[in-house]
Amino acid sequence: MTLDLIFTGIGGQGVVVLSDIFCEAALLDGFDVAKAEIHGMAQRGGSISAHVRVGEKVLSPLIEQGKADVIVGFEVLETARALTMLKPQGTVIVNTKYIPPSGQLVGSTKPLTTEALLAIIQEGALKVHQVDGLALAGKLGNFMVVNTILLGAVSALPNMPLKEASFQEAIASRLKEKYIKLNLKAFQLGRENVLLV
Amino acid sequence: MVSKIAANKPNSYLLFNGDEAVARGALEANVKVAAAYPGTPSTEILEAIAGVAKQFGIYAEWSINEIVSMEVAVGASMAGVRSIVSMKHVGLNVASDAAMTLAYTGVVGGLVIAVCDDPAMHSSQNEQDTRYFAVHSNIPLLDAGSPQEAYEMTRDAFELSEKLQLPVIVRLTTRVAHGKARVQIREFQDLRRDAKFDKDGPKWVMVPQNALRQHRVLKGRLAEAARLVNASKFNVLEDNGKDVGIIGSGIGFYHAKSLLNPQQFSWLKLGFVYPFPRELVRKFASNLKKLIVVEELRPYVEDNLRGLDVEILGKNQLGLDEIGEFSPDGLRDAFAKLGFADPAQKPVCLDLPQRPPGLCPGCPHRAFYYALDTVNQFIKCDADKCSGCEICEYVCSAEKEHVFNPSKSRIRALRLNVLFNMAVTCRACIDAPCVKVCARDALSQSKENGVIIVDESKCDGCGWCIEACEYGAMTLHPVTRKVMVCDICGGEPACITECPESALTFAGRSDDKVVAGDIGCYTLGCLPPVSAVQTCLCMGAGISQAAGMVHAGVKDKAFAVIGDSTFFHGGMPGLLNIAYNKANVCVVVLDNRTVAMTGHQPTPESGKTAMGDDAKTVKIAAIAKSLGIDKVNVVDPYDIEQTRQLLRATMDFKGPSVIVVERPCPLKIEKGAVRQVQDSCNGCGVCVKAFGCPAISLTVERAEIDPTLCAGCGVCEQVCPFDAIRSIEQK
Repeated sequence: MTLDLIFTGIGGQGVVVLSDIFCEAALLDGFDVAKAEIHGMAQRGGSISAHVRVGEKVLSPLIEQGKADVIVGFEVLETARALTMLKPQGTVIVNTKYIPPSGQLVGSTKPLTTEALLAIIQEGALKVHQVDGLALAGKLGNFMVVNTILLGAVSALPNMPLKEASFQEAIASRLKEKYIKLNLKAFQLGRENVLLV
Repeated sequence: MVSKIAANKPNSYLLFNGDEAVARGALEANVKVAAAYPGTPSTEILEAIAGVAKQFGIYAEWSINEIVSMEVAVGASMAGVRSIVSMKHVGLNVASDAAMTLAYTGVVGGLVIAVCDDPAMHSSQNEQDTRYFAVHSNIPLLDAGSPQEAYEMTRDAFELSEKLQLPVIVRLTTRVAHGKARVQIREFQDLRRDAKFDKDGPKWVMVPQNALRQHRVLKGRLAEAARLVNASKFNVLEDNGKDVGIIGSGIGFYHAKSLLNPQQFSWLKLGFVYPFPRELVRKFASNLKKLIVVEELRPYVEDNLRGLDVEILGKNQLGLDEIGEFSPDGLRDAFAKLGFADPAQKPVCLDLPQRPPGLCPGCPHRAFYYALDTVNQFIKCDADKCSGCEICEYVCSAEKEHVFNPSKSRIRALRLNVLFNMAVTCRACIDAPCVKVCARDALSQSKENGVIIVDESKCDGCGWCIEACEYGAMTLHPVTRKVMVCDICGGEPACITECPESALTFAGRSDDKVVAGDIGCYTLGCLPPVSAVQTCLCMGAGISQAAGMVHAGVKDKAFAVIGDSTFFHGGMPGLLNIAYNKANVCVVVLDNRTVAMTGHQPTPESGKTAMGDDAKTVKIAAIAKSLGIDKVNVVDPYDIEQTRQLLRATMDFKGPSVIVVERPCPLKIEKGAVRQVQDSCNGCGVCVKAFGCPAISLTVERAEIDPTLCAGCGVCEQVCPFDAIRSIEQK
């Protein structure tokens, strides 16, 4: 069994933390795991993506183009950009939020819309779960939990080899005490979002 | 949350990145002193050690630069305890003066130099290969290809260092340092050593006669290392009895092994790479027909294979170059070329806009660059867009004279040839020649924004200023016969908003100043729309580069921008040098009270040490004064007008000067009141096109501020010419 995932978004959205928690969960279930990501300059509002590979034995943390099983997108443009990494039969979980890049603001690149980008994503993947993370987070009264909602959605994918309890344990071990309860709720909300579709 | 680094669970698996793995290895080896200067991707090594230092009785410090950190580690080693110093690849250049001679003196306590290379320059200015520094300095080097190796190598490197009495480099690359993986840990050693310096050892005093002897000693120690290396557990031979072998070092080797069928080849993964394990490689090659080399950056392993009786397939044969890092896809194509793999899939490339990193919302650097950009404000025309329609002339005359009469306009649309149109107005020159030439003192220049002020009671229409203006911006009023010139309409020029081609913008004078940059977040000021930073070479270079330009005869006003931590690191010698050699350079210290780019480490100014203890707060302005700079000013960049005034005064000042631009990094402090765009916004776009805050976007009609991104700095309020941005409370 191997499972290759791409987590992608914009520096500051929590791509690193969320993919960390995923890796911790994989470790709890006894899998080998390797992850590649970039810190530093990418923090400053740039594109950021993490490759996560789970299996019995993982040698390299980098995923080949067209070989990822799942893309977890925090933002639609970055998700569309990552489609080249996805298997033809792969799955996308996308937060339906579009943040225009600064180039677009100055008018140097062609204008895009959330709808246009979502259409690209629908076309580029066999299975797409759209998650309106902000709206769901709004239900919990805290916009910071969008990423945990996405993690919940990932955990509920069919054929996910990691146990629900392992995700919950990984969340609890990574976060400060006062945020654990809220994030476990967010995780559950994300799970339902996929399970009920 | 307890730090994982400190977990006392031998044989368990933990998720570490390469840096944390190095830290764990050092903790297990009973390291006593750790020092570093932050540098991506090496920063988390010291961060991890410092986080548990007190618990383990370790001393950990952020030193002010890499050579200082290395000297601290050397001192500890001389006293007999184990020490580690960590840095990025270019940091080793800074520390190299110490490192080169350290190989001669050797060490007592094990000394590990952890160096993180950055192939592909994810956050660096070059991609040098530290394996060659090992050759250059005669320091043994272990090359880690995974976090597990980084951990094992660091743990064992201390023992190796003590055995050889030499420092040992543990090299990581970005994908190892910032890649996370499962690492199996072991138990903590307890060496219980007391620090004691053996004062009688003449080997520490590198006067020529001692150094000559030590050079010979070094060669002897290297010969011993060359024997050990062939049996090192870090050089892993996997003989599958095949004709084709693959040899390599670093993570590139694992990328290759991951995409090929391992049983199809024999493998030799080199970890202890300097001195080069010649015997082992010869043995490996003896049963092979072909030997493929997989290594990122320079062909270090490949160069060492010369003379083997086997066909070598290296960088040229695989079509892999020395630039950038390996991707699995690139490697797949390389192996496909040799017939060992299917070519990589070529997915349809979507034409999507890039999202480069930029200065954050609320960044004080952006506010400063905007002030610098608009020191002298004038209306700039983009000749590529200007159609020569002359609407600006009509708008100007209507605004100023209440008539549609282009001869009464302060802006002129010129048709220079059939294809080249351009509108010109006053450029607000520094030391404006029109003001100098006026015989009747009728002209003066605003200290605030450089605008030329006409005293009509004194002007007699002689026209000398018209002759003196290089831009043709001065004209005589057809009726009053007094001179007239653009006054930027108090910052709200109608010509800009009415230009149908959007060819006119509000701009500063970038063509009469040079801005030498340095290394840190503020280097991103090279990006549009501020596009202020013109150089970036190495830590501290900007000040001296600017001085060099001035001494060479460059007439533009020279600025050097440098961050607070970079100033402490490498800026102080350059500043003393311009004070001593009287260079007309204004050094701007962008002081955000932290090392922001690498993740907010403390600086000598922050009053905290790496271990969280209180420290003396060293003030940059005081340092500048004591280094011999007489003109030192401090300003808050969130006050654009005051910053601009200070910069204007500096433009006219001849001699070395310093401006300390003080404002903490917004990521470190609580958000201010979120701003909102009011209905009075007319969509002029200054806040986006000239200021460029990522929290503001622009539609055709108006600007919008994303409340989740806005940092509440309020600088856009000052930037907006129409008073259309307010804080939510003000509304």
